Amino acid sequence: MSALVHLDDVWKIYQMGSAGVPALCGIDLDISEGEYVAIMGPSGSGKSTMLNLLGCLDRPTRGRYSLGDRDVSSLDDDELSQIRGERVGFIFQSFNLIPQLTVLQNIEVPLFYRGVPRHDRHPRSRELARLVALSDRVDHKPAELSGGQMQRVAIARALANDPLMLLADEPTGNLDSATGSEILTLFDQLHDRGRTIVMVTHEDFVAAHASRAIQLLDGRIESDRRN
Amino acid sequence: MKGVHKVVDVLGLGLHSLVVHKVRSALTVVGILFGVWSVIAMLAINEGLSREAQRTLRELGSDNIIIDSVKPPAGEAKAGEQQWGIMHYGLTRQDVVRLRDNIPDVVRCVITHRTLKKAYSNGRIGDVSVIATEPTYADVSRIDMLAGRFFRPDDLLRAKPHCVLTRSLAEAFFVCDDPLGKVLRIGGQPFVVVGIIRQLPAALAVGSGSDVGNHVLVPISADRMRFGKFTVMFGQGGSTFEKVEISQIILQMKDEESVINGSAVARNLLGRYHEKRDYEIRVPIEEIEAMRKNRRLWTLMFTAIAAVSLLVGGIGIMNIMLASVTERTREIGIRRALGAKKRDIVVQFLIEAVSLTALGGLLGIAVGIVVPWAVEQILGVMTVVTAMTMLLPLVMAAAVGLISGLYPAIRAAKLDPIAALRHE
Repeated sequence: MSALVHLDDVWKIYQMGSAGVPALCGIDLDISEGEYVAIMGPSGSGKSTMLNLLGCLDRPTRGRYSLGDRDVSSLDDDELSQIRGERVGFIFQSFNLIPQLTVLQNIEVPLFYRGVPRHDRHPRSRELARLVALSDRVDHKPAELSGGQMQRVAIARALANDPLMLLADEPTGNLDSATGSEILTLFDQLHDRGRTIVMVTHEDFVAAHASRAIQLLDGRIESDRRN
Repeated sequence: MKGVHKVVDVLGLGLHSLVVHKVRSALTVVGILFGVWSVIAMLAINEGLSREAQRTLRELGSDNIIIDSVKPPAGEAKAGEQQWGIMHYGLTRQDVVRLRDNIPDVVRCVITHRTLKKAYSNGRIGDVSVIATEPTYADVSRIDMLAGRFFRPDDLLRAKPHCVLTRSLAEAFFVCDDPLGKVLRIGGQPFVVVGIIRQLPAALAVGSGSDVGNHVLVPISADRMRFGKFTVMFGQGGSTFEKVEISQIILQMKDEESVINGSAVARNLLGRYHEKRDYEIRVPIEEIEAMRKNRRLWTLMFTAIAAVSLLVGGIGIMNIMLASVTERTREIGIRRALGAKKRDIVVQFLIEAVSLTALGGLLGIAVGIVVPWAVEQILGVMTVVTAMTMLLPLVMAAAVGLISGLYPAIRAAKLDPIAALRHE
């Protein structure tokens, strides 16, 4: 079976004046469909850069990255936007909901940019709200929700376009431990249903939920083990 | 179909964020509203002034040279010029011949003889200014006939006692009756009314000692035959006798250039034969030029003020939109991460800017129609709101909205999504 995510000698070098500062140094990585991967490492190890690359927010300086059946390492800005909208579901540490939109409208944003007509968006977003147990909150604004509820809205939004991969950046970092484990349980359920999840974290008990843990150090993969 | 849906949706998105940011939106709308209505009001007032000026200009007749007989200043009158108590001054038939023979490009030359007389009809009596003239007067003065006709060459030739009245005189003497064919006694002599005119052009009535309303026009031959050459003026401390052969000469010229040329010749010619300043040459084109210049200045000023107020509105919009971009940097980052293309972000911010200006523009038109109306009611200044003066500010407002919205929109789209997401 071919890999869902395939990184082939990927480098990311940031230009700081005349000097190039490498953030990723020749990463080779395959992630298969249905895997639950935790990416770990101290700050400065290249976690964020890795996340931006995997999420198609950025392009590698060198090397090849294919997501699903497409080589995305040399796409233009519009094509990257489209790939993000259709193939990646982002979940952020600080939730990143749009404050002036309701729960339902927030969930609909990716559908909107994909061009799904209004009458098809509503049933889809309601179904997603039910999936994350927020059916009774659909017309609330994010400010009226708890942290756990906001992260559940974000997860529903990430699932909206049925992406190839969920990409979570410290999803429990802003939550208390009880709520955090609630969210992790939700991730486990999604994984059980076959979702591919890549999660950046620096906490071992969070990484313990994943089926595979990748340790980054100084832009290189230091260890890659399966639980 | 997908494209259409998207257009409708993006439109909805732009409008939605306006509703969410009520105060900001309201301020922008008010800014444009003020810009637009003040432009419409100013253009309306300017247009009103312009039309009044144009009417005056048309009445003056830009191709005319007007020469009036004027009573010379008292100090200049020498003893010898008074013969048997009759003061003799002004233009003569000889002057007419000299002018006509020496000035090139004269199309028509019309003379008038003006006197003040008593007139009565139907037991009503009143003072009238009698203007004895030729049939071509109607052509050079561009008077409007309301009823009947002006007198014809035949009337002049046979010195027929026909007369043409201004409307106000017709109403004063004949009230509700049709004056045509009726007899009006002027200075004791019967004249048959053959036509009614609206009024005498103000430019030609100057110096006639009467307002533009109370004039009777008669064939100059009939006037000469019945009243002779003397003018009796009833001044202060008794009556004086004055003899003025011709009160006014109107030279209609081929074009505006020949007017300038001809007026110089006329000045030279009359200066040579008249010892005293008992005439006055008026060249409407000079007044017209001054007036046009004046008008251009006003239009320029009005336009400048209008442009500035719209510019201020536009800067306001740009400022608000830029603040909006900064304030919503994170939102832009989120949208970009969730699949929004640069184009989508540009369109969203543009729709916000353009719909704000459009709303402000439409409200501005409503206010801009009411304000000139109020100005006209209160100040009595003529104002004209045309489709053009309404459309222009609206188009300008839309352009201002587009341009001032475009820069912030492009800036928003250019944000690096990674940096925008990290923005606090």
